[in-house]
Amino acid sequence: MSQASSLARYSLWQLRDFAVDRGLSILIIGLLWGYALIEPVRRAVGSSLPGTASPLWLVAMQVSSAIVSVSVLIALNGIVSADRKAGYYRFLFSKPVSPVFFYAQLFFVYMVGVLTAMLVLSSLLHKMLPTFSIPHFLLYTALVYVAMGGIGFFLSVTTRYDWLSLAAVWLGARVLRGLYGAGNDWRSKLVELLPPVHRLDDVANSLIATGSAHTADVLWLFGYGALFFALGLAALRWGQLAD
Amino acid sequence: MAKLSPPGDTDDSTAALVIEFRNVGKTYKSLLGNSVKAVEEFSLVVVEGEILGIAGPNGAGKTTLIAMMLGYLRPTTGTVEINGVSPRQYIERNGIGYLSELIAINPKWRAETALVRFATLAGIAQSEIPRRVGYVIDLLGLAEHRDKKVKALSKGNLQRLGLAQTLLRDEQILVLDEPTYGLDPVWTQRFRDIVGELRRPDRTILIASHNLDELQRLADRVAIIDHGRLQRVVSTGYETGGYESAAAPVATRYRITLASGHDLIRAVFPQAEDAGRGEYDVTVHSLPELNTALADLIGRGALVASVIPERSVLEQQFREAVGESQ
Repeated sequence: MSQASSLARYSLWQLRDFAVDRGLSILIIGLLWGYALIEPVRRAVGSSLPGTASPLWLVAMQVSSAIVSVSVLIALNGIVSADRKAGYYRFLFSKPVSPVFFYAQLFFVYMVGVLTAMLVLSSLLHKMLPTFSIPHFLLYTALVYVAMGGIGFFLSVTTRYDWLSLAAVWLGARVLRGLYGAGNDWRSKLVELLPPVHRLDDVANSLIATGSAHTADVLWLFGYGALFFALGLAALRWGQLAD
Repeated sequence: MAKLSPPGDTDDSTAALVIEFRNVGKTYKSLLGNSVKAVEEFSLVVVEGEILGIAGPNGAGKTTLIAMMLGYLRPTTGTVEINGVSPRQYIERNGIGYLSELIAINPKWRAETALVRFATLAGIAQSEIPRRVGYVIDLLGLAEHRDKKVKALSKGNLQRLGLAQTLLRDEQILVLDEPTYGLDPVWTQRFRDIVGELRRPDRTILIASHNLDELQRLADRVAIIDHGRLQRVVSTGYETGGYESAAAPVATRYRITLASGHDLIRAVFPQAEDAGRGEYDVTVHSLPELNTALADLIGRGALVASVIPERSVLEQQFREAVGESQ
């Protein structure tokens, strides 16, 4: 039996692990967070105002995009490093399986998991706010998963503290861009190399509302994440699993 | 009696070479720049059909060596090859039966589903998985624990689960790191029987263990390592009749118990020490010397009840090798 075939069969176990270990947490956090922040606004102003002018829409936008980021953090937390820390890699990769393909598949299985969780949450939101587009929101989720998740994947391969590192990189990039992004000196040129998190708000507003966004922003976000995902796979291929 | 050979040598020139360590070294470097040499200039060839033991004190480099053999660690110097390719290349193509010293299986998994997962990854056909899993569960006596979560298993049962996943597939190479750690005497003996059954002309087995008696019983040769260096390779067979190779003969102490003829012992073994209750400690340098002397003793009319080496030959070699390196 080929490695591709056994890995494909194993994806069902990976999806099950996601559902039990992460998917449930994402749904609970999303539901509680969404309900706590959106429901009071809905009660206060109702959903009578159409489109993006509604205060409810603005809150829903803010909350839903934040839930996506948190969900990606939860999904990617320890995606590779947990197996290395706990030593699970020893039995897993004594089997005829490549760690590169195993974790690449895991990355995409978790993406399916996150998208499914977001489908559930956005369906609920859609009931409260019919103008909220589920497909647009899932498109945004996929983009953030690749942009943020690609970096998270790389950090999980290269460090033991991937969740913290990703949060620090994400937050640090925002702070540094805020401080030096507008200038014209070497520091502002340097911060250009940081993850393009500053483009995320614009992309969220545009993509969730209209289903389209500035192509350059999308490409920059997608490309940055994809590059780091590829670097993570390269580190798996040429690095070592044990410490 | 054991036969000694120089480090790295194999005495079976006709068997196919399976695993080759060539001047392998591994140095760990800390963030502060300190470095520790875990393995140094290690060269060894393991051939098809062989059971090779790896013995060494704690921190000798056994586990590092195995991690390099599985491609989990990269050597700092030298190369490791399995069937002529890098370990990862070999394993990703063929798989290997590996029982690690630390049995790390997700504690939330159930024993049987853990085996089903490993069987899936091992590429066993879906229709064949229940039969293979059932077989290893029965073989390792895990039937009553199959539905338990891994975290609920005792050390011994966890060890048996680790061994079960090693045996899921009919692997050509098995690597067992401290395989009887945590097993009770009954399962230790059962494990030895299983390894005996696993011996096959086209299968190579590596066993790393602190238990020299176990290695003496199971392995064809034992590589003794200390401070990351291969100290010597000892053949455990008795057929050679003595120490023939590079190393000098080693004095071995035996305890002889006599049922009668106590007054004859010193005529044959002038240096025999009386240990009381009809037991005497004697020192000889080879099996022929021991047998000649015993024949003489029996010929004179003594009734020998038992002859027991004070230490196994391997234990003696181990003490010498480790002592020499310190």
